[in-house]
Amino acid sequence: MIIEERNSTHVYKQLRMLSKEELEQLEGRCVHEQPAYCVAACPLKLDAKALVQAVSQGDFDGARKLYEKIAPFPHILSAGCDAPCGAKCKLAGLGDAVEIRALERAAMAYGQRGKARGILRMKKRKTAAVFGSGLYSFFLAGELNKKAYPVTVFCQEPDLEAYISAEAGFAPAEALAADAALLRETDIVFRFGAGLDRDLVEAQREKFDVLCLSPALYSSLYPAGKAEEALQYDRENRLVTGRPRGVTESAFCAKKAALTVDRLAQNLDPGNTRGEEGPVETRLYTDTSGATALTRVPCQGDYTREEAVQEARRCIQCRCDECIKGCAYLQHYHKFPRVLTREIYNNVSIIMGDHMMNKPINACSLCGQCSVTCPNGYDMGEICHLARQNMVATDKMPLAPHEFALMDMLFSNNEAFLCRPQPGYEACKYVFFPGCQAAAIAPETVKAAYLDLCRRLDGGVALLLGCCGAICDWAGRYELAGQTKDFLDRELAKLGDPVVIAGCPSCKKQLSGHEGLEIVGIWDVLLHLGLPEGAHGLERPAALHDSCGARGDAGTQEAIRSLAKALGVELVDTPYSGDRSPCCGYGGLTAYANREVAGEMTAKCLERSDAAYISYCMACRDRFARQGRESRHILELVYGTDAGAPPDISQKRYNRLTLKKELLWELWQEETKEMKLDFDLRFTKEALRLMDERMILKDDVIAVLEEQRQTGEAIYDADSGLTIARRRIGNATFWVKYTPLEGGGYLVHSAYSHRMQVERRQG
Amino acid sequence: MADKNYYTIDPLGKLRCVKCGVPLEKGKAKFLYLDNGFPVELPVCPVCGFVYVPEELALGKVLAVEKALEDK
Repeated sequence: MIIEERNSTHVYKQLRMLSKEELEQLEGRCVHEQPAYCVAACPLKLDAKALVQAVSQGDFDGARKLYEKIAPFPHILSAGCDAPCGAKCKLAGLGDAVEIRALERAAMAYGQRGKARGILRMKKRKTAAVFGSGLYSFFLAGELNKKAYPVTVFCQEPDLEAYISAEAGFAPAEALAADAALLRETDIVFRFGAGLDRDLVEAQREKFDVLCLSPALYSSLYPAGKAEEALQYDRENRLVTGRPRGVTESAFCAKKAALTVDRLAQNLDPGNTRGEEGPVETRLYTDTSGATALTRVPCQGDYTREEAVQEARRCIQCRCDECIKGCAYLQHYHKFPRVLTREIYNNVSIIMGDHMMNKPINACSLCGQCSVTCPNGYDMGEICHLARQNMVATDKMPLAPHEFALMDMLFSNNEAFLCRPQPGYEACKYVFFPGCQAAAIAPETVKAAYLDLCRRLDGGVALLLGCCGAICDWAGRYELAGQTKDFLDRELAKLGDPVVIAGCPSCKKQLSGHEGLEIVGIWDVLLHLGLPEGAHGLERPAALHDSCGARGDAGTQEAIRSLAKALGVELVDTPYSGDRSPCCGYGGLTAYANREVAGEMTAKCLERSDAAYISYCMACRDRFARQGRESRHILELVYGTDAGAPPDISQKRYNRLTLKKELLWELWQEETKEMKLDFDLRFTKEALRLMDERMILKDDVIAVLEEQRQTGEAIYDADSGLTIARRRIGNATFWVKYTPLEGGGYLVHSAYSHRMQVERRQG
Repeated sequence: MADKNYYTIDPLGKLRCVKCGVPLEKGKAKFLYLDNGFPVELPVCPVCGFVYVPEELALGKVLAVEKALEDK
């Protein structure tokens, strides 16, 4: 048996994984980069979340810098801001909203003014005149000055102080003085004591390119004027003006007006291509369950520095990271689904060059946890699965990450495959499908379960030892998956299309893709029949790990809990259970493709509890036991068996073969021809450890040595005193280091392999 | 033109071909993978042509190049 390696790195095939629209629709589900509620609510686009965070760290300078960015005269604004952000604060629904307004004032009071005031900018050639006083025209003059327009202000007030104070009576004297100082730094020209009438305004049309009016002046001089709210522009009278109410709205309308001036100065229509203005709707989701400080720090006027820091620390820094919190894979790559999807999409589209995302594509366990934890059901597994299939289709999928698993699947469905009706039956009502891992890890349990089902169910129970096809499906090998499905369908038809009793939730899920097949879990059958004799639970409380194969399958999850209860097991609560359960690291072939990430996944599962773990998927049982945790499959408890220490990769194959051989003999009286080695073969402990780590089977070693015996080809290394033989098997060359034993045997010290072919060359 | 080799190992007389009973010599060989070839110099039996790939090379440089090519 061999699986074809991809032919060449020079593949120029390309297949679109998703249409652009599908990609955008998918990406739109990830709300991680959506603005926080307070940020979205601010018409001036203040990054309130960042400001509050800066204050919480005592960085008042940084906080002030953020605030100065949004307004030319921040002191008056902060004194009178209506703080629409506060109403949208997530904490408002639970207790007191964060006092963002007070924190803005604290930032202005305790922060130092930023030193760099921008580069010296050339003044623009177009000019603007602003008529009247009040917040709107004051802010507008400042905005236009920021945009480098030469501005002339015409006002009735006799001096700067009187001009600033108009409509700003709410602001303390220090704020007025501070903004007056800022105003003096600008080169805005003032015409104080101007007699503001319509003639004066109209007379300036020749001198200035754009004319702007305060709301009060606009109402009195142009009572019939119809300024457009969105543009702050009266097209008929060619005036930039509006009718805002309140401090924040004045500042916002001044910003809109300044943009209109900008457009008009360039002879462009003020209504086109303005970009996003004002408050926006946010689709962010934030989990508030961790919010504890729900009462605001009392505020007597203004906060002291310490009070401000204390209040800012109440902020929960709204963000959505629901997927990443529970997933070791996303934590490993530290990328959110939207970014990851785009990078995977691009990776699949690359024609030549390095495919940097191959590893992340093959490291996902396809477990679907994110589809549950994400408030919008973003399923990274679906995307990685699609990408794998795409890579297989375009011959860009390397075989190395999945070859061992795929060969193991072929082994399960060939040498170790067994499909028989119950003795005495031709067709059966049921077929027991324990799954390849159960036979590999706990053969005694499989045997006990099968005999029990035969004994207690009427109508005959057939046995099918093999792989459900999940392995090749996970690997993206859709053709092989189709062949496996057809093969299993044919075998099931021979048995009379019985009801499948699945021993593994992943098999149950995989087999549910077969049309017309009825599938139940063995747990359902056991609940119906009652526990067999000898069943007993654990003496101590245990954590139940839900299998990713049972995600979305409430019936299975509940049946397992009922079984555990019937067994008398006391289950401890763990976070991330049920549908939110993480993968043990076996799913999606992560354990083969990326051991590091798989290890992190296992650790993530085990960090939920210090208790012993009970699982209902044999792969989970195996991976937890490998980490030294007491780990039992629920069927071991049901049948009073103990699979003991986790087997190595060779033992897993041997277990499957032995189970098949024993059952064939005991139930069907068929003898299996035993393949006996005609030489003595031993391994050092280190050799066995290295082989398991390097995924080299004893069968591989035997194949190398058998060839060595025939050809006599080997190398003797005088330094180590070891002899070294090799053989090309499938897509890899295997090397075995040994010392010959008396009588023609071998003591194996090490084995290694490489996929590259090596040959002699001439010249 | 000078012969280009990506890697050279000289057996220094410490390796012997068991079949032919002669010491391995530094000889010309090449690695092939996914339609890419790399000329190297490895310990080779001058008689039967057995090319030896030591463990450190297989698990080091060879593995690294394999992985790099797999992601091409």
